[in-house]
Amino acid sequence: MTSSAVKTSAQPMTRRTQTRGWVRRVVRRRVTILAFCTLVGVAFLTLLPFYWMFSSSLRTMENMFSIPIQWIPDPLNWRSYVLAWQAQDFTRYFFNSGVVAIAITFGNLILCSLAGYSLTKFHYRGRGVMFILILSTMMLPLEVTMVPLFLIIKELNWTNSYQGLIVPFLVDGFGVFLMRQYMLSIPKDLIDSARIDGASELRIFWIIVLPLCKPALVALAVFTFREAWDMYIWPLIIITKDSLRTLPLGISLFMSSYGTSWDQLMAIAVLGTLPMILLFFFLQRAFIQGIAATGLKE
Amino acid sequence: MRLSLASKQAIFAYAIILPTLVILATFRFLPMLQAFFFSLTQYDLVHPPKFIGLANFVDLAQDPLFLKSARVSLTYVVFSVVPVLPLSLGLAVLLNRSLWIKNLLRSAIFMPVVMPAVVMAVVWTFMYQQDGVINTILGWVGIDPIAWLRSSASALWAVILIGIWRATPYYMVIFLAGLQAIPADYYDAAKIDGAGGWACFWRITLPLLKPTTLLVIVMNVIVAMKVFAVPLIMTGGGPADATRVLPLFIYQTAFEFFDMGRAAAMSVFLFVAVMLFSFIQVRMFTRGEELR
Repeated sequence: MTSSAVKTSAQPMTRRTQTRGWVRRVVRRRVTILAFCTLVGVAFLTLLPFYWMFSSSLRTMENMFSIPIQWIPDPLNWRSYVLAWQAQDFTRYFFNSGVVAIAITFGNLILCSLAGYSLTKFHYRGRGVMFILILSTMMLPLEVTMVPLFLIIKELNWTNSYQGLIVPFLVDGFGVFLMRQYMLSIPKDLIDSARIDGASELRIFWIIVLPLCKPALVALAVFTFREAWDMYIWPLIIITKDSLRTLPLGISLFMSSYGTSWDQLMAIAVLGTLPMILLFFFLQRAFIQGIAATGLKE
Repeated sequence: MRLSLASKQAIFAYAIILPTLVILATFRFLPMLQAFFFSLTQYDLVHPPKFIGLANFVDLAQDPLFLKSARVSLTYVVFSVVPVLPLSLGLAVLLNRSLWIKNLLRSAIFMPVVMPAVVMAVVWTFMYQQDGVINTILGWVGIDPIAWLRSSASALWAVILIGIWRATPYYMVIFLAGLQAIPADYYDAAKIDGAGGWACFWRITLPLLKPTTLLVIVMNVIVAMKVFAVPLIMTGGGPADATRVLPLFIYQTAFEFFDMGRAAAMSVFLFVAVMLFSFIQVRMFTRGEELR
């Protein structure tokens, strides 16, 4: 930063009229440096819990609360990962979370895009009402409906089952909204000309419409996967069998039974965050677009 | 019988939206209606529901625990929403200018959104320990160690701080999208007229971001009303009920005390509160629709 600032101010002035521009540039520089420092400070605050989680997973318990505080763990304590993994059936929890999150993601990709397609490219009675009804589910948080929903799932005999974890979330009002907004931009002519060529409706959807929606689909997939991976209150209510626990349940259980083994707790925390971090690094654009889309308006 | 092309298409259109409607009707609308029904009953999962009229609501209005919980929720909502607004907008404005390693900074600041809620609860519990990293850092600037989660005076603030940490980058992304939708011409024109950066912000950026701001407030309020995992794992609602937000109280009433009717009545209360804000949101989502 400083070196480039020096370079700018050392540029020769060729004309007198540029003097004021030069002053303005210096002011701009200073504002930029201020902005930069602020952002670095904020980044420190947002990253600190990540660093502390990771470094503490490698710190030995003796050094956990040492004074002065040990910023870089020494000696390294990789065993915490092994011990934590063996303390409970985390392989199973990871597997369960993966199955549930992937199933919910695929369900949303298919159902939301089908619904969005129906709502944009066809005219039929009740279309507007359906759209409003679907939208209005966005204001029904699970926290409000969880008691009766639990009773429904119990009635269906779906407590302690994958169906119970997956089926209620296979489609979501926001997802339908997102796909609909995106599909509004797909030209109707494209679909009509495929119809003239004799393609079936389902084929048109599959071969023509879906590939055009790829950016929206990726954003929706990442958004849904994140939410599903994060899901806590619902599995907490309907799952009591250990073999069906998802990772968040496993982590909170581990916390209540091994509450002071911070090295192991942090190791599990790192492993539970890792899939999200990987997802973020490989699909950063889609990750951010999915969230930006929750701020979409018509 | 041969169907006309138009009705064939209509059947297809209905068929592909049907699964969505069935799922949403069964797992969203039906439970909502049932919540209203159960709120008028006494139901313990063992005996059949008994109709008791508005008794649950009358009880709640006099229950100090419920009133306390509603107050905790309100405090949480107000203090986790208000600071997030200037923070997320400010960060978005800073990130919207050309800046060295801008993308890297944006990604770094975005990271809290990536951390699962349960992990967040575990990691922050650790950081909030008496000899933990937060008290250490506060010590650098001469602040005495705080008992964070162990004291009923500070526990709610500790939870609110996490809410802010998580929500700020989320809404920053939405504000960034809003900022990028403002045409650069506006700023160029203002600059020709001699407007400085500050004037541009107040006269152009803020007015044009009004819809985004309103949306962020509404979303943020709804999310804040739903907070559950973090207080449950970190404090279980304590100490001295200081962090028992409404969703947590509903959960405990239903699944620890098996008082389904009372829990449903609280759900209805929460629903009305969320409804007030959501109503504004849906209106914003559909406003363009009505005009067309």
